[in-house]
Amino acid sequence: MILRDLIRRSGRSLRSAKARTLLTASAIAVGTFALTLTLAASNGAQHFVNKIINENFDPAELIVAADKTVFGRGDTSKPREYDPSFGSSTSSAGATTQIKRITDQDIASIKKVKNVEQVREDITVNLRYLTRDGQKKFIGSVAGFSPAQKPEIVAGSIPKPLNNQRVLLPEAYVSALGFKNAADAIGKQVTFVVAKPVDTTSLQQRLASGQPTSAEDLARLSTTNSVSQNYTIAAVMKKPTTSQPGTELYLYIGAEDARALNDITTQGTDNYRKYNYVFVRITGGEKEAILTAAQDTLQDKGYLARSVKDTQEFLTQIISILQGIVAAFAFIAVIASVFGIINTMYISVLQRTREIGLMKALGMRNRDVGRLFRFEAAWIGFLGGALGSLLAFLLGTFLNPIITKQLDLGQGNYLLIFKLPEIVILIASLMFISIFAGWLPSRKAAKLDPIEALRTE
Amino acid sequence: MITLSDVTKTYGKGESAFTALYKVNVEIPTGSTVAIVGKSGSGKSTMMHIMSGLDHPTEGEVLVNDQSLQKLKSKEIDTFRSNEMSFIFQAFFVEANQTCLQNVMLPLEIAKVGRRNHRKLVLEALTAVGLEDKIDSLAGNLSGGQKQRLAIARAIVNKPKLIFADEPTGNLDSSTGDLIIKLLFKLNRDMGCTLVVVTHDDELASRCQIQIRMKDGCIEQVIGLKKTQPSKLKTGKGAKK
Repeated sequence: MILRDLIRRSGRSLRSAKARTLLTASAIAVGTFALTLTLAASNGAQHFVNKIINENFDPAELIVAADKTVFGRGDTSKPREYDPSFGSSTSSAGATTQIKRITDQDIASIKKVKNVEQVREDITVNLRYLTRDGQKKFIGSVAGFSPAQKPEIVAGSIPKPLNNQRVLLPEAYVSALGFKNAADAIGKQVTFVVAKPVDTTSLQQRLASGQPTSAEDLARLSTTNSVSQNYTIAAVMKKPTTSQPGTELYLYIGAEDARALNDITTQGTDNYRKYNYVFVRITGGEKEAILTAAQDTLQDKGYLARSVKDTQEFLTQIISILQGIVAAFAFIAVIASVFGIINTMYISVLQRTREIGLMKALGMRNRDVGRLFRFEAAWIGFLGGALGSLLAFLLGTFLNPIITKQLDLGQGNYLLIFKLPEIVILIASLMFISIFAGWLPSRKAAKLDPIEALRTE
Repeated sequence: MITLSDVTKTYGKGESAFTALYKVNVEIPTGSTVAIVGKSGSGKSTMMHIMSGLDHPTEGEVLVNDQSLQKLKSKEIDTFRSNEMSFIFQAFFVEANQTCLQNVMLPLEIAKVGRRNHRKLVLEALTAVGLEDKIDSLAGNLSGGQKQRLAIARAIVNKPKLIFADEPTGNLDSSTGDLIIKLLFKLNRDMGCTLVVVTHDDELASRCQIQIRMKDGCIEQVIGLKKTQPSKLKTGKGAKK
């Protein structure tokens, strides 16, 4: 029998046992459904991570820290020796730990490494408040702008370089600060008010100098002061779709300005000029070899240097582990359905004993009889695979907008991304597994004695 | 021409051995109608199976047109069966949930006849049995007589030289059975094929040119043809299966 006729005949015999076929296929469909969704979620997460990375990081930059704890790898269970660079940091788990930080000396040392083009501190300054003439006061956080960031601009433009006390304003502040629209805000000024801590050094100097000091002076020097700075709005940014939660309303200023603002708020404290990590741009760092060389040199000096790719891998690794678990369960479901196929195929062989006998009497080869039943198994696998992945696709397409809204992923970002080639490969493997499952029953059919089979009434 | 020389068929071994056929010798001329008659267990079905190459004799040889079936490989026997012969059974063995076309097409698919000719050949066969208007109907909707005619259409679609019919009227009432018998003899005349009918219906047997009467695995009597050599079963070995 030729292949096409075999395939058609095997399909036809399935149609004659619709309920049985459908039920067996449903078992496979359950596993396929879970596998398809897992694959889609994996694609979506990968895509989302890549988007975050591409829109926020420069691939030629290394993130450099002095303490392993910054990247969640340090051992906090052992006593550590004191160093003035230690400061407190809140871990992602919420615990406050002390970590060794990057100091000016470290920056100087990093700058000496071959190919280091620029070192940019990671600065976020919590303002006491920000405001504008005749408007309400709002809390706000100011961060140093990375040239790798690609915020969507509503009005104005990002100056190159961003400096001279110019700021990128999130869209949400436009109406809050009383502007008519985004365009109206461009070129206008906002006032940042930061806390200036007690300057113990100057207080001590004043007292030690023996100058007459009034009570008013002392009060002023010993309480926290506020410092105001005016910034010009250069551009209004749309709410980023791929920002870290909590950073949506960050106001971005130039690296120099950020450093100056940070100095004001930390002068005289332990946090003065100490950074959890710095961004180190490597000349020619787009090439992996150059970047890796710089990374190795920095790590030899005792720093922890992580490339964008490492971060990406780290993030996707967590996703992969979770997905691996789901996939393993789905795979178990598929394996379980294999027994369903074996059972169904045995029943099919039994029910069609006479037909097998007839076909053999008419000169059909044993090999072709076996193939007929293996194709039948493959059809069941195909049906189950197609059914499961179609349901997953329909459900995913329906759920995607809801998930995006619930998880606040930003418009146009979907958690579930279905790729046709993956689904095709998935279905093909299921067909293969089904053929494997149909092996024993098909062998039974192939070995059936036609005389015995024809005697069956 | 089918020649059986000294064909013996034994099932099992040792104590439980059972001889279904013992040293059977017979010649069947091409184009003749042959009835193999006997009680059940007399070895008539076994003889048919051995003639068709479905079963293999323990001893002896089967020659079909001077070609020994015992010298063919299993693949060659399959090819031989798909091209040269065909079967009709008592229980029809038609697939109820397939159309008549699909049922009759089966031998063509097995013999790898080009797909383009399928419908034409099927229609010819169905016309010969008077079912041409049922070509796309489901076989399950046919009556018993129609089902057997469908089985006959399936048997003749590939124009075999040899048709084996195993109790073709066994499941039919006498008037329908009569029609089927007439149809079989007509096809034998029109197509010139050899027709071998296994039956215990004496009326059907009497209408065949040759009657081979079986008893206890041996040929008891051959009517219409000179038996080449008499055979006799050893005493005590012809237990009924």
